[in-house]
Amino acid sequence: MLGFFARRLLYLVPVLLAVSLLTFMVGALLPGDLAYVMLGDQATPELIAALHKQLGYDLPLWQRYLQWLGNVVMGDLGRSFRTGDLVLGAVLDRLPVSIELMILAQVIAFSIGVPLAILCAVNRGGAIDRFLTGMAFGKLSMPSYMVAILLIYLFAVQLNWLPATGYVPFTEDPLANLRSFLLPALTLGFGEWPVLMRVLRSDMIATLQEDFIAMAKAKGLRPARILLVHALKPSSLTLVTVAGINIGRLIGGALIVETIFALPGIGRLLVGAIYARDFIIMQGVVLFVAAAFVIVNFLVDMLYALLDPRIRHGRA
Amino acid sequence: MATSGFRVCALALVFVAACLTAAPASAQKQGGSVTVGLELDISGFDPLKVGVFDTSGNIAATLIFDTLTYLDDSGKAQGRLAESWTNSEDFKTWTFKLRSGVKFHDGTPFNAQAVAWNFARQKDPKNKCRCAFYIANILTVEAKDELTVVYQLSDPAVNFPAGQAVPSSNNVVQSPAAIQAKGDDYSRNPVGTGPYILKSWTAGDRLVLERNPSYWRKGWPRLDRIVLRPLPDAQSRFASLLSGESDVVWADAFEADNILRARKNKALTVHQYVGSGATVYAFNTKVAPFDDLRVRQALVMALDKKKMSQVLTNGLSLPATNPYGQGSWVKCKDDGALPTDPAKAAALIKEYGKPVEFKMLVTATPRGRAVGQVMQQFWKQVGANMEIEQVDQATIVPRAFQRQFQLTPWRIIDLPDPDTQMYANFRTGSPVALANYSNPVLDRLLERARVTADQARRSDDYCEISRLINSEAIWFWTFQNDYYAVTKAKVKGIPKLYSGVINLAGAWIE
Repeated sequence: MLGFFARRLLYLVPVLLAVSLLTFMVGALLPGDLAYVMLGDQATPELIAALHKQLGYDLPLWQRYLQWLGNVVMGDLGRSFRTGDLVLGAVLDRLPVSIELMILAQVIAFSIGVPLAILCAVNRGGAIDRFLTGMAFGKLSMPSYMVAILLIYLFAVQLNWLPATGYVPFTEDPLANLRSFLLPALTLGFGEWPVLMRVLRSDMIATLQEDFIAMAKAKGLRPARILLVHALKPSSLTLVTVAGINIGRLIGGALIVETIFALPGIGRLLVGAIYARDFIIMQGVVLFVAAAFVIVNFLVDMLYALLDPRIRHGRA
Repeated sequence: MATSGFRVCALALVFVAACLTAAPASAQKQGGSVTVGLELDISGFDPLKVGVFDTSGNIAATLIFDTLTYLDDSGKAQGRLAESWTNSEDFKTWTFKLRSGVKFHDGTPFNAQAVAWNFARQKDPKNKCRCAFYIANILTVEAKDELTVVYQLSDPAVNFPAGQAVPSSNNVVQSPAAIQAKGDDYSRNPVGTGPYILKSWTAGDRLVLERNPSYWRKGWPRLDRIVLRPLPDAQSRFASLLSGESDVVWADAFEADNILRARKNKALTVHQYVGSGATVYAFNTKVAPFDDLRVRQALVMALDKKKMSQVLTNGLSLPATNPYGQGSWVKCKDDGALPTDPAKAAALIKEYGKPVEFKMLVTATPRGRAVGQVMQQFWKQVGANMEIEQVDQATIVPRAFQRQFQLTPWRIIDLPDPDTQMYANFRTGSPVALANYSNPVLDRLLERARVTADQARRSDDYCEISRLINSEAIWFWTFQNDYYAVTKAKVKGIPKLYSGVINLAGAWIE
């Protein structure tokens, strides 16, 4: 187990380096020049040259990358030229909002996806299975911004049950906090359950044909016990992987959902930085998110090993 | 008979007068709270950090800070932190007498030294403030005594006090003591003399302001609390007004559907202000095909601005025929606008003889592209081929300054006086005289208009300038600058949206 852990941890290094290089290059290769953004209307050639020197733009690209990487390793992602805020501070300030949103979205996705998957697997090919599969595909093809606007229209404008926008910190009022997160989490979670359901359904169908399930049935165990205790765990390997990869989709979705519902998370921070051409925040957030994604998937791999002993013993 | 008729009239007059004076007093209730949905996050208030305030910044600044003057409903400058002012004969020296007894929120006194200190800090080349560009014409600001401050200008400005009314990072007076004490933290903890005091601020979420109990103006402020929230998505911003989370939302002509819907809703009020200035475009007259007057005129005449407005903003945006607009005091009987005439335009292109092919800079935004594509179609119909060149907004400025364009979009913003922008945009040799066009008659008119005190005569000069520019077709204008706010009907006391700023300093709830 420890060897497996160490090996996976070692893989992380080149992956994170590649991530940092890509993030840096995206920033460096974008058209438009930070100096012009910073100086605005008074961008004379002399000021531009001076600012380029100050920003280190006169150095070769690889040297700039190493310098930037050195700072990043020391935890310095730079400062926003617009607000003067430290990028890392701005990201950490807003991180709790995004994490809460993603956890709630995952909870919603799982609590819809898993029961429906089991239902479909048990009734494979039946009317319920066909109906739910159809719904899942229908839902998969609805973009989150559309779901968001529909939910706002229904629950906020027409019924007036939930707020259309806004955010209340958990520490201030837990109930109001959950109310403000409900619509955005539903929007995100709605996009995820069909994927979870489809994956778990097919794995579950395979598991249900295994000999040990027949054995359990023969022993006269109750169907609910067979499904939840015997069949679910071995069927959930792909599910866990997909859930890990889904974090990436959730982050992508959060950009849109946080903007629409005006939640002060890192998705909003990134979108705001893009509109304001705040390259330094942009670069910092992208790097942070990419690194977080890589690390979460590393953790998911670890979980995988816990679920399946064959993997941790290297006999998969 | 005659006397009784007179008496009835007199009584009616007294009654009307009584209503006029009594009604506002009884209606302006104290207390309550208003939540405002803005488009953008506020980036901060220290001019050295943020450079210039955007509209969201301006809206917050009108509440936290005061300016020396403000604009009344007729667009004239009235005193706010300044009580009166005088000027030298050449309009280059302006002396302001300041209000006494005004204090910043931190308790330090507001005085001439504070005004001079704010200016010197922004002007200091060592501080490299982006804001310095906009005070380039002010040479010095000097505190002559506690309550007298003297501005020395490099160029004459006959309407200087009106310019001081804009709640920009240059004009609002911030507490020198607080700036020095708080250092890097000041930008998020601003201290002014304004009617509202910053209570708390969660970045990206909300900025909470509470009434300043010792505000110098009697009866102000009326609300207990104002909450400013950035709601970047136009649809959910409007939905937040309908669902009751916001009382006031910022809007623009590109959400015409929402604005038109709000106009039909009795519970809502739509504030529309058509300001001065316009969305404008400049031809580079030094490069083909725009070195030929016929081509420039043809392109202007080919554009049907009414149709453009229909397509882009559901007819909400008003076509512009001159650079001044409805909100300006410049009123022209004849501004010399070329007519919309596609047939004539096609004929002119034909007469030119060579194929008309060119590139237009377009901002790489959905709106920029939409506008570009609509123009492309109009021009195609008269035989001119425009190629859209999408560039980042930040790239347009250097491209324009270096004249690396054939046709570029630009903007004349809503300011109380046309002089600064007109002089910069059209005087021979100015860095933003984008058309590369030089005409001694135009220069002479611009020089004269800026030193004429009489507004009617200035207006005549500016109209002649408009006629000249329109007939030479070196720049053209598409739409006037229009600004919108949608509020609950019970929110009262919002003045004209000068420069697009929703000013809630004197607002109340009915």
